[in-house]
Amino acid sequence: MTNENIVELKNITVTFDGEKILDRINLAIKDKEFVTLLGPSGCGKTTTLRVIAGFVSPTEGDILFDGKAVNHLPPHKRQVNTIFQRYALFPHLNVFENIAFGLRVKKVPEAEIKKQVTDMLKLVNLSGYEKRNIAKLSGGQQQRVAIARAIINRPKVLLLDEPLAALDLKLRKDMQVELKNIQKSLGITFIFVTHDQEEALSMSDTVVVMNEGVIQQIGTPQDIYNEPKNAFVADFIGESNILDGVMKEDFLTSFSGREFTCLDSGFARNERVDIVVRPEDVDIVPEKDAMLLGEVTSVTFLGVHYEIIVDIGGFKWMIQTTDEQKVGDKVGLYIEPDAIHVMKKSKYSGMYGDYSTFSDEIEHLSDLEEDEN
Amino acid sequence: MNKKRTDFAQKLISAPYIVWSAIFIIVPLLMVAYYAFTDKSGAFTLDNISGLSRYAKTFGMSLLYAAEATVISLIIAYPLAYFMSNMKAGAQRMMSMLIMLPMWMNFLIRTYSWITILAKTGIINTLLSKIGIGPVQLINTPGAVVLGMVYNYLPYMVLPIYTVMVKIDKSLLEAADDLGSSPISRLRRVIFPMTVPGIISGITMVFVPSVSTFYISQKLGGGKTMLIGDVIEMQFQSSYNYNLGAAISLVLMVLILISLAVMNRFDDSEEGGILI
Repeated sequence: MTNENIVELKNITVTFDGEKILDRINLAIKDKEFVTLLGPSGCGKTTTLRVIAGFVSPTEGDILFDGKAVNHLPPHKRQVNTIFQRYALFPHLNVFENIAFGLRVKKVPEAEIKKQVTDMLKLVNLSGYEKRNIAKLSGGQQQRVAIARAIINRPKVLLLDEPLAALDLKLRKDMQVELKNIQKSLGITFIFVTHDQEEALSMSDTVVVMNEGVIQQIGTPQDIYNEPKNAFVADFIGESNILDGVMKEDFLTSFSGREFTCLDSGFARNERVDIVVRPEDVDIVPEKDAMLLGEVTSVTFLGVHYEIIVDIGGFKWMIQTTDEQKVGDKVGLYIEPDAIHVMKKSKYSGMYGDYSTFSDEIEHLSDLEEDEN
Repeated sequence: MNKKRTDFAQKLISAPYIVWSAIFIIVPLLMVAYYAFTDKSGAFTLDNISGLSRYAKTFGMSLLYAAEATVISLIIAYPLAYFMSNMKAGAQRMMSMLIMLPMWMNFLIRTYSWITILAKTGIINTLLSKIGIGPVQLINTPGAVVLGMVYNYLPYMVLPIYTVMVKIDKSLLEAADDLGSSPISRLRRVIFPMTVPGIISGITMVFVPSVSTFYISQKLGGGKTMLIGDVIEMQFQSSYNYNLGAAISLVLMVLILISLAVMNRFDDSEEGGILI
């Protein structure tokens, strides 16, 4: 049965000092799946991982491995291994002994340890580093030791807590590919925690978007990007223009003062909804063909495209275009029916998706803050 | 230019410390050496040193008692430090306070109070005789001397071990759990090796004062257990033989240095099996 769930979380609630960190988390993870828990800092993704590893006991709910409850199994008896955020390599042991740690605990014969560690070092491209001191390794090398130390134990599930956060961009991209390859070749289930949405989209089979201790959406990267469930998901994953709209009838919606044909249905007549339009899905057209007219208020050149902010009746849209525009230009916009995504109203409605206060600087600052956490 | 000036400033700032150590450390040491190699008239002699063989037994006893006190302190202090490091922050502060509290009282008075506890008519024997046992000889025994050492120097063992232990990154302990270590194996493979520096300084800080103490052995040993510290004190206080006293001190210093050098070797070795 390859389809069976290897890890299941049922109604997991975690409360610390009266504060709910996780609120009724339900999650089923299939064998050999690459699952990413994605969300801003403080959303509960790391706590979820720690519940699975056994470092946090849920206040309520059950954790199942292979269908068996493991709530009371201490971490050292669980068939999972973790790659910690700051690697947590043992400073008193060298590279070889760090990797051999799990095998030594299991009292594996010395010759077998030597062989397995050597193989593992080869797998993570660290042959010849056996005797090195941990403190003398670069961040990328420490990362590899941490990977080797975990997977040498052949865990069924590998938990990765923001393992790439401390690496620079280039190295991070390389490690993403490497991790994915390791996961495929060893056939281990990966549960990966990150706040980097690009990382989540590019690596995962399934993405679990979390916020405020609640799962917002579970789906494939394509689902999450193309069919976000609410304003939070739409805003967190990529850029989105999120507008207040009304669903007139099936396949007909209205926002920004006019009606649009769309591909969505199943809403009540005249139900108030949130409309998502991705910046790359808006076409700039001559005024006579335009559905909406607006004025350019800001232009940023990003290499592949321009990111322009267009004011339409007071709402600032972000549009990505390869045509150069100037601030003050009047532009016409055209939106294809399949570019419009309609979402039910949620508690996040109206909180995201307007670019009136948009500035690259603020975005950049908030990224830094997240990295520190 | 600028570099020269800061160099000069640094030298100027460190000057008082250099002068201080010269006057209060180097000069006294040289004086000890001078007395050790001269006779009463001030002429050079090796007699003081060569005559020390008659104190070999006392040296041996002192090292043995100090070693016993050190081992017992370690056995008490290590679990104590371990439990302390796992307490809540407030409880940890409270515990370190409690451990240091007796040190606020004078060392002589603390040792003296043990006499009233251990004496023939002391607290313990009074209680024992009430239930029909004793009196038991507690005071004036080697055990009482070691007890006095452990009691007085235990904080110096607990605190350095505790300090190293609380600094261990909690994620390392989680990593050990995660890799399959039971609590015992985690203690053996991670916590113990990582606390070796604390153990080493603890051992140093208990062993050194224990080996040279004289007051504890006089008050709790009743003069029956003569330690090398007593012999040194006697030379200065009653025999007025400064030369012999200095010679014994010098040899004791060398012995302590050798003991510490041996111990520090364990610090570098991968997994320490010190004393155990």
